[in-house]
Amino acid sequence: MNGIHDLGGMHGLGRIDPETDEPVFHAEWETRAFAMFAATYVFAGYTVDELRHDIEQMGPAEYLESSYYEHWVHAFERVLARRGIVTREEIDARVAQLAQGAH
Amino acid sequence: MLLTAEIVPGLVAQGASARAHVDVPPKFKVGDKVRARNLNPTSHTRLPGYVRGREGVIEFDYGVFEFPDTHARVFEGVPEKPQHCYRVRFTAREVWGPTAHPVDTLRVDLFDDYLDPA
Amino acid sequence: MPTHADRKEPEAALRVRALESLLAEKGLIDPKAMDAMVDLYENRIGPRNGARVVAKAWVDPAYRQRLLDDATAAIRELGFSGLQGEDMVVVENTDSVHNMIVCTLCSCYPWPTLGLPPVWYKSAPYRARVVADPRGVLHEFGVDVPDDKEVRVWDTTAELRYLVLPQRPAGTEHMDEAQLAALVTRDSMIGTGVVRTNGAPA
Repeated sequence: MNGIHDLGGMHGLGRIDPETDEPVFHAEWETRAFAMFAATYVFAGYTVDELRHDIEQMGPAEYLESSYYEHWVHAFERVLARRGIVTREEIDARVAQLAQGAH
Repeated sequence: MLLTAEIVPGLVAQGASARAHVDVPPKFKVGDKVRARNLNPTSHTRLPGYVRGREGVIEFDYGVFEFPDTHARVFEGVPEKPQHCYRVRFTAREVWGPTAHPVDTLRVDLFDDYLDPA
Repeated sequence: MPTHADRKEPEAALRVRALESLLAEKGLIDPKAMDAMVDLYENRIGPRNGARVVAKAWVDPAYRQRLLDDATAAIRELGFSGLQGEDMVVVENTDSVHNMIVCTLCSCYPWPTLGLPPVWYKSAPYRARVVADPRGVLHEFGVDVPDDKEVRVWDTTAELRYLVLPQRPAGTEHMDEAQLAALVTRDSMIGTGVVRTNGAPA
């Protein structure tokens, strides 16, 4: 699709901003998002291309303003929901529980 | 299958190659001039916009791989279409026009279905 | 664009925790396996692997040739293989060519040899600019390529994964493989850097 992900040659996206001594992960949640790939790939029966297409369908503004692992989480939710493994409603309900528990 | 800690190192070291072990004839050979097709599917593709319509040269045939455009749609029931994937050489000027550096080039990995003879 | 300076916990942080707890309850994932994945990539798989490949290629001409002929097999000789490096290609910098790697469509990167990609490699500005203005990008990274030297940009659009074999710097003839490996930077294997001897001006 002619989506925001097809970035080659685009202008005006700001400067490249390398981080000195960058850690592998920047937050604990990123480690969970990263590992979720292997953990779900082995049972959910999706292809990496299907996962990529779910990322490509993010809203353009959201795509540009969110990070790599946010893109992944967006796509995991969709491939799993498509298969009826975990629904959006289940996730929303659990998010609400977790948010309450955090306070 | 459940991913357990015990099998993680082996699975990581093995990976999951997208190489397809089927006999599909190539449409092009090394040295052929090709033009990337002007395709605009609303579904997944790995044909970047910036090479569409541009002329390049087949530099290497990597062999047969799963075709991303159909591989993304297996769950929808779309049949797989494994095919040859090539390393295609483009000059920077062909892609970006006369202001591009005269000696610079690009390599893009493209499938048979993305290419026409030029 | 968000930068590393203003990064804060996004909604996705909570959503991935929700997903993990739901999948664990359903018996579909084992959080300990996820810990093992993270441990591998935090502690075992990273650019030091690629540096070993490069240093060996510098000191062993037969290995260098194997690496250029069949990178996947040559890299596996050193014990590095698998996920996101199943089908590898090594591209060699020479006096006439400087290679750079990108994935304009997502963020493909050779995990077994370089580990997980840095944020800038995955960022929109790098992916957008490096194909169209590689010399401008190189300049920002402190590398200026002469006008008569080709800059060759490799866009990782399919399932091949690329690693740059940088040029061995002059004045390293006395160094052994381990000392050479210590000089090799991640960026030199992406192509946004070159290998310099310690103390050399940037």
